[in-house]
Amino acid sequence: MYIYLPIAEQPINAFIVLGIGSLVGMIMGMVGIGGGFLLTPLMIFFGIPSPVAVASVANQLVAPSVSGVLSYWKSSNVDFKMGIILLIGGVIGSSIGVLIFNFLNNLGHLDLVIKLSYVLFLSIIGSLMFIESSRLILRVKKGKISRGKLHQHNWLHGLPFKTRFRKSKLYISVLLPLLIGIIVGILAALMGTGGGFIIVPAMIYLLGMPTSLVVGTSLFQIIFVASNTTILQASQNQTVDIILAFLLLLGSVIGVQIGSKFSNFLKGEHLRFFLSIIILMVGFILLIDLITTPSDLYSIVVLK
Amino acid sequence: MNNIYKHLFLKTLFLLVFFNFKLFAKENIVADLSENTVEISTTFSGAEILLFGAYDGKKNDDIIVIVTGPKGKIKVEQKEKKFGIWITSKSLTFKEVPKYYYIASNRKIDKITNLDEIKDKSLNLNYLKLGKVNKKLDMKEFNSWRVSLTRNMIKQKFWKVEENSIALNKNTLFRKTLSLPSNVTTGLFIVKILHYRNGILISKEESKINITKSGISANIYKIAEEYSTLYGIFAVVLAVFMGWLSNIVFRRV
Repeated sequence: MYIYLPIAEQPINAFIVLGIGSLVGMIMGMVGIGGGFLLTPLMIFFGIPSPVAVASVANQLVAPSVSGVLSYWKSSNVDFKMGIILLIGGVIGSSIGVLIFNFLNNLGHLDLVIKLSYVLFLSIIGSLMFIESSRLILRVKKGKISRGKLHQHNWLHGLPFKTRFRKSKLYISVLLPLLIGIIVGILAALMGTGGGFIIVPAMIYLLGMPTSLVVGTSLFQIIFVASNTTILQASQNQTVDIILAFLLLLGSVIGVQIGSKFSNFLKGEHLRFFLSIIILMVGFILLIDLITTPSDLYSIVVLK
Repeated sequence: MNNIYKHLFLKTLFLLVFFNFKLFAKENIVADLSENTVEISTTFSGAEILLFGAYDGKKNDDIIVIVTGPKGKIKVEQKEKKFGIWITSKSLTFKEVPKYYYIASNRKIDKITNLDEIKDKSLNLNYLKLGKVNKKLDMKEFNSWRVSLTRNMIKQKFWKVEENSIALNKNTLFRKTLSLPSNVTTGLFIVKILHYRNGILISKEESKINITKSGISANIYKIAEEYSTLYGIFAVVLAVFMGWLSNIVFRRV
C-alpha cells in the first residue's frame, strides 16, 4: 500500500516503512541507540531527500524514546539526575555544533567532515566495545567470573564538584557527564542524530554506569534532543514529514516494547556485543560507500 | 477506465463535427485531455491522462507532443576522489530548468523535421532552454555539466522522450496516454501538440494540466509552511502521545 508523503513529495510503501520502523525500534529497546544513525541512511536509501529524512527521523525518535523510558522507569532503570546533567551538556553542545556546522558549510567541507566523523566514531566505538564485551563473554564462559570493582578509576574521577548519583552507584564530578553531554551534543548536531551511539558507550566506559541503567537514561535524554531538533527543523526548514514520521513511529513503538522485554533476558556484555556488531556493520557500509567509485559521479538536487 | 473511453468517444465525435465546419479553412488541429487537473492526495502514485484529438491530415503527416512542467533551480553536484574518499567537490546550479519535460512523437523526430526547427521548438533534450547558470564557464565545461544534468533528469523520471509512441489513425485521429510519475512536481503543465507536414509546422494546439495537492496532504503541506513552529510542536506532541499510548497498550498485554 502506497501513501503519498506531503513534505517529501513522493509516495512510499507503507508496509516497508512500518517494518523498518519496528526493526529499528527493537534495536532501540534493547540497546538504547539506533534511531538516528540507522534510520536516516535507510530513508535516504529509499529515496527520501536527506533534509526530510533527518528531520522526520528526529520526529519519530521521540515516540519510541518516550515508550522506552516509561517501561524502563517502571522497572526503575532510569537515572534521571544523570540524564538531566547529560541533557544540559547536550543543549550547550548542540548550540556549539550548529555554529561549527555553519562554519564548515561555508568552507565547503561539511560533507567530508560528516562522513569521516561517522566512519571514525563508529569504528572506534564499535571495535572498543566489541573487544571488551567479547573478552567478558569468553571469560564468563571459562568460569573465571571476577567482578571486583564496579568500574575502573582513572584521572577523570579526580575532577572537582563531586556529586553522588545514587541510582548509578557513582560518586563522580558533575563536570564529567556535563562534558560528555557537550561533546555528544556537538557531534549530534554535526551528524544529525540523537547521539545515542556515542552517549551509550560514553556512559558505560567513561562514567562506569551499570548497563541496566544506561539504556533508559540514554532514551530519556534522546526525547529532549529529538524534540528540540524536530521543532527547529520544522520552523526553520519545513522539512518534518509528519506522515513519514507517523508511519515510522507506529512501527518503532511496537518494536521498542518487544526490544525492552528482550533486554531483561540478556546480560550486559551480550547486549554490548550485539550493539558493537551493529555499530561496526554500519561503519563498514559507510566506509565502503566512501571509497568505492560511484556509478555516476554527478547527481542532482532540486532546489526550492 | 470505461468512463474515460466513453468520454473520449463523445469528445472525438464532437471534435469531428466541429472540424467538418472548418474543413475548408486552413489546416487545423484540435485536441483535448481526459483530465485538466490532477489532484495529489494521500493515495497518489502517479497519474495517467489521455490526450486525444483530430487533425486535418494527409499521408505522412507527423504529430509531436511536448509536455512542459514548471521551471525551477536544479543543482548538479560532482563527486571527486580526495584522500582516497569520494566527496562532492563541485556544483553548478541551472536556474530555469523544467522540472518535468516530455517529448512524444509518431516517429523519429530527426526524420520529422530539420535541426533548426528541433532547436527552436526544443524537440530534443539537448536543446532544452535551461536558463542561466551561477558560474562563468566555457562551452566545453558547460556542455559536460549539461550532459550530466540530462542523464540524471532522465534517471529520476523528470524528463522523458518517447519517439514512435503516438498512434495515428486514418490521418485524422491521434491519441497518447501521458503518464505522470509519482514524484511529479505541482504546478501548471503545458501540453503542446505540433502537426508537421514535410518537416514544416502547419498547425498546433495547446492545453494545460494543473497539478495540485489535495485533501490531507495539501493541508499538511500548507500548515507546515504557514504555521511551521506550531506544526513542529504538534509533531512532537503527537509522537509523545503515541509513545505513551503504546506503553499503556503493552502494559496490558
